[in-house]
Amino acid sequence: MQHNKKVQTGTHFEMGNWACTEGALAAGCNFAAGYPITPASEVANFLAARLPEVGGTFLQTEDEISAICAAIGASWAGCKAMTVTSGPGISLMQESIGFAVATETPLVIVDVQRFGPSTGVPSVGLAGDIVQVARGSHGDYQIVALCPESPQEMFDMTIRAFNLAEIYRVPVFVMGDGFMGHMREQIAIPPEDRIEIKNRKIAEPAATVLERQDFQDVNVAPMPVFGRGLKAHVTSSCHDEHGMRNLSDPEVMHRYTMRPIEKILKHRDDIVRVEDDCDNVDVVLVSCGTVSRCARAAAQLARSEGLKVGTLRLLTAWPFADREVRRAAEKVDHMLVLENNTGQLYPYIKAEAAHACRVSFLGPQTLGQIHDPKYILGHIKELIQ
Amino acid sequence: MSKVTIFSQSCKGVDDCGICAFVCPEQLFKACQEMNAAGYYPPEITDPEACTACQNCMIYCPDFAIAVEKDENSSPSTKKPKG
Amino acid sequence: MTLSAHPLKERYARSHIQRTTTCPGCGIGTVSQAILRAIDELGLNMDDFVFVSGIGCSAWIPSPFYNADTLHTTHGRPIAFATGVKLGLPDKHVMVVSGDGDLTAIGGNHLIHAARRNINLTVVLVNNGIYGMTGGQTAPTTPRGIKTITSPYGAMEHDFDIAPMVVAAGAAYVARWTTYHPRQMTRSIKKGIQKKGFALIEAVSQCPVQYGRASKLGGAVDMLTHFKANSIRLAKAREMDEAQLAGKIIVGEFCDREKAELSEQWVRLRSEMTEDK
Repeated sequence: MQHNKKVQTGTHFEMGNWACTEGALAAGCNFAAGYPITPASEVANFLAARLPEVGGTFLQTEDEISAICAAIGASWAGCKAMTVTSGPGISLMQESIGFAVATETPLVIVDVQRFGPSTGVPSVGLAGDIVQVARGSHGDYQIVALCPESPQEMFDMTIRAFNLAEIYRVPVFVMGDGFMGHMREQIAIPPEDRIEIKNRKIAEPAATVLERQDFQDVNVAPMPVFGRGLKAHVTSSCHDEHGMRNLSDPEVMHRYTMRPIEKILKHRDDIVRVEDDCDNVDVVLVSCGTVSRCARAAAQLARSEGLKVGTLRLLTAWPFADREVRRAAEKVDHMLVLENNTGQLYPYIKAEAAHACRVSFLGPQTLGQIHDPKYILGHIKELIQ
Repeated sequence: MSKVTIFSQSCKGVDDCGICAFVCPEQLFKACQEMNAAGYYPPEITDPEACTACQNCMIYCPDFAIAVEKDENSSPSTKKPKG
Repeated sequence: MTLSAHPLKERYARSHIQRTTTCPGCGIGTVSQAILRAIDELGLNMDDFVFVSGIGCSAWIPSPFYNADTLHTTHGRPIAFATGVKLGLPDKHVMVVSGDGDLTAIGGNHLIHAARRNINLTVVLVNNGIYGMTGGQTAPTTPRGIKTITSPYGAMEHDFDIAPMVVAAGAAYVARWTTYHPRQMTRSIKKGIQKKGFALIEAVSQCPVQYGRASKLGGAVDMLTHFKANSIRLAKAREMDEAQLAGKIIVGEFCDREKAELSEQWVRLRSEMTEDK
């Protein structure tokens, strides 16, 4: 590894948490705030060492709440900012996640998930937060959540997370877990000029904010970043397109909630990614994250026994891949949802698929220990009888 | 001497607030007879000549409802010129 | 020449914001003026600042009134947000304006740590001894015995002495004044702005509607009279014993010291680390 280089071009054999850090730096991250928490701590440890090398700032805060608040503040100061934590930290951050959504703040939040509920088992992975990141704050809103399944994808998807945050002015989650964060695998990092970077649009000066639309444009309003004389007014109270608080006009209240939602859903085709490998099959295994490795292994095992089994991997958990799930459901007889939890995405998948095929859920034999492919295969055989 | 301007529409009333009247060392404020649009009775100066331009009323008023301009003959302002 | 508005409002307020939203007699507007006068006397302008405020009546000082970059955050968190703003914009003056509930109850931890890490923020903490906006609940600054809507049998807890607490946490500059002392408050705010370090100015302020009623102190003028009668300068207070100081408001500068400031250290580190490139 070469210190002081922003992009560590080359082939590496490293843990997912390392890859995530390097992805952030390659994306142009120049501010991170975090609080130590297993199994995410390595990301903060690496960022503390690496950020100053590339002219960035690292802040270890007194708790997770101040970490995300500082990152949001830094984003408004013009930084590409992130925070990193695990499930308990995401729980603490919920109010601030809502703040970032309501104020349309570009932000990357890396969640290296652990076994819950509560303190649970810090170093065992579980997809415990897959719904929490989208539904954990009060009110109605849309965020983006990306689901890597390998250290390589932790690198690639962290870059994508920063780009999406900048384009859509929204918090973007990278959903790692204890397995992927601590697992070592080969990571290929391309040359810097082959990495595509996106930057936020910045607002133009105006005599008053009333002459500028700083918020609630479904095609993303240019951000009135601080420190440039733009005299932005940023509040998490219900506000109008100029950022001015308005708690009395029902139309303003409606737009305050709906426009940021429409902003994401309108562009969902740009955001949602799946790997659809379920043409001409009877059974499709739906998964995201670490469990996808089990799904692919099980599908391969099934095919070697002459069964027609395919996979649908969700590379994005949110916005939800409703159309993609429906399309897959209409091709198959059975959809088997595999999650390393008790079925958090399952209801959403079933809602989109149940009209077209049989939908069921299979958790691991032992929660926290990912599915044995033979266990999945056994269950598939029962399903198709 | 000095010029005291009272922005009556910004005022929250001598009876409900009354801070200007309290801080005026010459006790020059009393309530107007006329209500402002918000329903408060703003103050008026009883004797403009007696104002010493101490600016207390201007500095204490929570509603930015009073301005006191000193003329050249009064004591130097503590405010630096703008720009 | 006829003035169309108060000179500070003319220079520093958003042109479309006409009204102050505080109750009649509330001290918050006096504090707001003290802040703007400090900025004016320093020859600074609104583009040199970012204002950050939390939730509560005092948090409405910069938002929406001041014609500047303003971040109106969730309850208790303005100091945490401001820390990120300052690290991202080290050349700007970052000022936090919020209340005693916001900054010492829910936000207490952020206050202590910001003072400890000596991040260059100027914090104007408006202390009115109560949660005003939500209807008059007990605050960490409500004296024992006062009956509020959440301590109807009399507050049983003891209240914070904020200024010394922030000194102990490590702040570079701490001062306390009341709304009876707006000129001294302005002087301290100026010092706080210019200080390279964490500066806190505790502004004891009257809340006639909630606190005035709960404490039976009365209206704005009664409360200002009370501040005038019970304010003791720090130097004098040091010669008095606990019994003599009961019920008194100690005002003055509690500390003014030099120590390494965080955002400046980061500017230096970043520059050293990237120098060779």
